[in-house]
Amino acid sequence: MPIQRRTFVAALGAGTIASTAGCSSTGGTGGDGSDGSGGNGTADGTPSVAGETLTLTTTTSTYDTGLLDEIHTDFEEMYGVTVDAVAQGTGAALETARNGDSDIVMVHARGLEDEFMRNGYGINRRDLMFNDFVIVGPADDPAGIEGTGSATEALTTVAEAEATFVSRGDNSGTHTKELNLWEAAGTDPGGDWYQETGTGMGEALNAANQQGAYTLSDRGTFISQRSEIDLTILVQGPIEGGPEILANPYGVMAVNPGVHENANYDLAMAYIGWITSPGVQNAISEYQVNGEQLFFPEAVSEDPDFRQYVPEGWSSDDSDA
Amino acid sequence: MLRATGVSRSYGDDTVFRDLTIDVDAGEVVAVIGPSGVGKTTLLRTLALSLEPDEGRVKLDGTDPWTADEAERLVLRRRVGMVFQEASLFAGTVARNVEYGLRVRRSWSERIASLFRLSGAADAVRESLDVVGLTDKTDQPVDSLSGGEAQRVSFARALAYDPDVLLLDEPTSDLDPRNTAVIEDAVGEASDRGIGVVVATHDMHQAERVADRVAVLLDDGITEVGPTAEIFEDPADERTRKFISGELVY
Amino acid sequence: MPLEPVAQLAPALLDGGAGPAASLLGVSFREGYVGSVIAVSLYVSLTAVALSTLISVPAAVAIGLTEFPGKGFVKSVVNTGMGFPSVVVGLVVLFAVSNQGPLGSLELIFTREAMIMSQFVLATPPITAISLAAVSGVDDGVRDAARVLGGTRVDVALVVIKEARYGIATAVLAGFGRAISEVGSVLIVGGNITSADGISKTRTLTTAIQLEARQGRYETAMVLGAVLVALVLTVNAVVVRFGDRGVTG
Repeated sequence: MPIQRRTFVAALGAGTIASTAGCSSTGGTGGDGSDGSGGNGTADGTPSVAGETLTLTTTTSTYDTGLLDEIHTDFEEMYGVTVDAVAQGTGAALETARNGDSDIVMVHARGLEDEFMRNGYGINRRDLMFNDFVIVGPADDPAGIEGTGSATEALTTVAEAEATFVSRGDNSGTHTKELNLWEAAGTDPGGDWYQETGTGMGEALNAANQQGAYTLSDRGTFISQRSEIDLTILVQGPIEGGPEILANPYGVMAVNPGVHENANYDLAMAYIGWITSPGVQNAISEYQVNGEQLFFPEAVSEDPDFRQYVPEGWSSDDSDA
Repeated sequence: MLRATGVSRSYGDDTVFRDLTIDVDAGEVVAVIGPSGVGKTTLLRTLALSLEPDEGRVKLDGTDPWTADEAERLVLRRRVGMVFQEASLFAGTVARNVEYGLRVRRSWSERIASLFRLSGAADAVRESLDVVGLTDKTDQPVDSLSGGEAQRVSFARALAYDPDVLLLDEPTSDLDPRNTAVIEDAVGEASDRGIGVVVATHDMHQAERVADRVAVLLDDGITEVGPTAEIFEDPADERTRKFISGELVY
Repeated sequence: MPLEPVAQLAPALLDGGAGPAASLLGVSFREGYVGSVIAVSLYVSLTAVALSTLISVPAAVAIGLTEFPGKGFVKSVVNTGMGFPSVVVGLVVLFAVSNQGPLGSLELIFTREAMIMSQFVLATPPITAISLAAVSGVDDGVRDAARVLGGTRVDVALVVIKEARYGIATAVLAGFGRAISEVGSVLIVGGNITSADGISKTRTLTTAIQLEARQGRYETAMVLGAVLVALVLTVNAVVVRFGDRGVTG
């Protein structure tokens, strides 16, 4: 199966590089790949990005699930390049890119992504894939939230019962989502029952497990760790018919070479073209941990979705462009 | 050969000695006697050209190291050897210690080359260990030596590079009579080789045994210098007389 | 116990990457993964400690053998540096090597060279401070003898270094221990990167442990921890052995 996919993706590569080459020459804003590595193929078809390194800052949830290691080999072989994936959490990943220390970001906090784009650091955003968040807790469910159809209602119930809740507290995408949920619930969490761990999802799940506490987790990390902990899903996300507010969409963006001229824009665009291609999107949907699908591709669609390219709520009438 | 003229030295407000004159010639043994703490060590360091006097001149064969440049001073300093009250041996074998003075006088390329040679001890090392009767200890680590043996190695170490002047600072104060005798014989051997020797000691009998001339260091200066017999039998200075007869107790 | 993981590691270090996943103490890893992580850990820490030793020991000898006004202040600055938090060092190095920083044009961020820089900064104060204590402890008489017997300043320094060798070896080991067991700064400036085929680029044992712990895989983290301890013990044993041979030689 992997070999089959690889040949399929490789066959697709030629088309991808052609399309991204077009993108970089027409979409460039003056910063034209100052390292002299145009995205154009040479006469024999070998792309001239060969030997370069793409620095990708991303979130722990995409990295720790093993997805990137699984799919990146194809990209590296196709272009003869290296991908340095740095797993940092959404906030840190965007900050690193903001400083010009990475070429591309893959994160899951639309609000932060939009701010990043509005400030001019990110361009050519694409919706990549999604999974969802779930609210997990001990099987005996002391606060009694199981079966609650609303995530905000469930959190309010936890807060009223003062049942222990573990928060990531690390400015990650999951943490950002959790804070948005509290805000939507109209509750300001605080007190002994609310614990900020400042750690990764895996550690937060372990902390919740040991204390019989509730927490918000992305489905992927929860699945990959489910066999080792006693927590269970009490409020489902939209993948299993839960509320839409628990959706967890991932986006990918190139660092704007107009702001950071050292950014490897050509390779970043090649990557975006590659990862949003049908072959790789298919590979993402086939990636499984413990027999379960973790990510659902959403880059390939028959219908146009212009909202993925711009900050939410932006229109061409806005004066802040 | 080595001559200090009118030298003074103090540490802060504390004067160690003032306007002091002493000299030693080739093959001559001069003893500096005086009570402990009177500044014999400071005087020897001044004579070793490693301590600059506040006033006065120290000259080796007419050259003043403190008006010479650093390279010339090093050349002069290297004509002097010294044995301390404590053996102060370096970690390593007896041979490495005795060889030290020869080693630092070689060029760096020779020294580095010698690291890769498994040669035995040099002739000079063996000869000078022979003077103190320790040739059988050549390859022993120094921490296996007794105190007396360590001091004898220390003597051989100063003798090995054939200095013009040898300075001994209370070399036998911690030693038993047998080791003391070895050191005193070695002093005689050194002077036979034409080395000028200065021995600082609080032991007047030792001074009588080894010295050609004696300088008496009392309070902050030398009260009297003269041939050994003269100083011990007919001192001219009243304080010298009292010190030698034991009336003056420090 | 410490020998066991080392013995099992040897093939992993030598093996290019063919064959099935390697197993270590009952936990399976991707082929070549543990070996490459160890190699990066050793490369970064040993290089940093070597560079640091080249600076620290002469500095300690110079400070120890010279009297100058403000010597006490210099000593206290060095001693304060020993307790410098590694994350702070990591942040400072990050600012220096970041694209926006003064060394940004060298493109050192997320490289082993940046990790070496931060570990150099971390290892230098303990190596200097402990070497300085060792040098200061060398008998004055030995120093005097080295000089009076005709030694130049360099000769005296060499004698002092030899006398203080155990203390200096301890200093180097302390610096190595700090470097190889440090996680904060190498994570920040190195980025904890492996290639897609599981070969470490900037992942060290400590950041690998941190990664496993982040995912709640404490058993795997413990195995890597055991490897780290074995590695430190091995290096210590080698240095002690080397030091012993230096005495008689």
